[in-house]
Amino acid sequence: MSQLKYLVIYLSLLAALVLMILPLPDWAQIYRPNWMALVLIYWSMALPKRVGLWFAFFSGIILDTSLGTLLGQHTLALVLIIAINMNFYQRIRVLALAQQAIYVFVLLLINQVVVAWVEGFLGRSTPLLAFFGAPFVGMLIWPWVFVVLRDIRRKAALR
Amino acid sequence: MKTIIEVRGSSVQALFLIVLSITMMVVDHRFQHLEIVRTNVSLALSPIRYLVSLPSTGGNWLGEWFTSHTELLNENEELKAQGRILNARLQKLEILAEENARLRNLLGSSRKIADDVIVAELLSVDQNPYSQLIEINRGSSDGVEIGHAVIDDFGIMGQVIHVNAQSATIILISDPEHAIPVQFIRSGTRSVAFGRGSTRQLELRYLPATADIKIDDELVTSGLGGRFPPDYPVATVTAITEDRVLGFVSVFAQPKARLDSSREVLVIKPRQ
Repeated sequence: MSQLKYLVIYLSLLAALVLMILPLPDWAQIYRPNWMALVLIYWSMALPKRVGLWFAFFSGIILDTSLGTLLGQHTLALVLIIAINMNFYQRIRVLALAQQAIYVFVLLLINQVVVAWVEGFLGRSTPLLAFFGAPFVGMLIWPWVFVVLRDIRRKAALR
Repeated sequence: MKTIIEVRGSSVQALFLIVLSITMMVVDHRFQHLEIVRTNVSLALSPIRYLVSLPSTGGNWLGEWFTSHTELLNENEELKAQGRILNARLQKLEILAEENARLRNLLGSSRKIADDVIVAELLSVDQNPYSQLIEINRGSSDGVEIGHAVIDDFGIMGQVIHVNAQSATIILISDPEHAIPVQFIRSGTRSVAFGRGSTRQLELRYLPATADIKIDDELVTSGLGGRFPPDYPVATVTAITEDRVLGFVSVFAQPKARLDSSREVLVIKPRQ
């Protein structure tokens, strides 16, 4: 029973995956925030002992498979930002939501740099708007992600 | 408080995973070994993909359900008329095909007259804005293989790059990583058409300035390279730009296939 409640972590990641692959109209595509990264950032901040790099790694592989990107592209980006987060979460956790959002923007931007870098390596360029658009939207919705996941975590009494 | 050993352990782990993902990328880019990982993970995820496609499928279903009777009658009438016209044309084509075969026999050249096709439906369009991939609902259990060409009713759409048991991924001819060998119908000039990431444009680079090309020329597959069967329509020339210094022309062409709106596609199985 005590292990069963951790299922909500997997379910939230599954929901993030659905949001990542949900079809959007073309113009909205580039503003799609990286839900997977947002959810992973939250859990690794709230339960760093439980959700860490391996979570980022396997989420990344699943994301790469679903998006049809190079296997390892999103994996590398997610592992990198979660590794950074593991070093800072204690200081960030206590900040106000708006300040956290700026930190999350930086993490999402790093994520974007890695993904765009690999795309560039493969000879595809990332439009500037897409590069900054998605992390910006991610920053705007961070407070809601945080509040929703926090409530879920409290309901499930996860520590 | 974290102990130093813990911190060191986690950064070693991070380094390991980063190296692992970079290795995976290189392996995935250069070799086929990771295809099995991809296949299995996407098989495990297929319920989710199904879930995601439900809203649009449901919308279509509702749309069909509520199509009014008169509309259906009209459509039926129209389709019948179209059927008659197509039949008439087909008769002519059959005669032509026969004549063609006879002439080819006379010339002593053998040629595949028709290819086997598998009818497939679009499952999803790839969400990655940088590449142009689509997913169809036929896979290896239906005989689809990597490299098979995919067409719609108007022309070549792309080719199969991944195959799962029940689905397959198609790279469109407009993907920046894709190139297709083509031939101008009118002049017979051969070239290669590259994707540019837009579903409305292909580019033919470095053609000699003396090449006989006009706007509205039709491009068909040349069959060179062995991937695409010859003589399927590919694109229509829309613009020609000349580089006077280097003496080359670049030709832009609009794909014949409706890359962004076709829902039913045909996978062409080359005859052995």
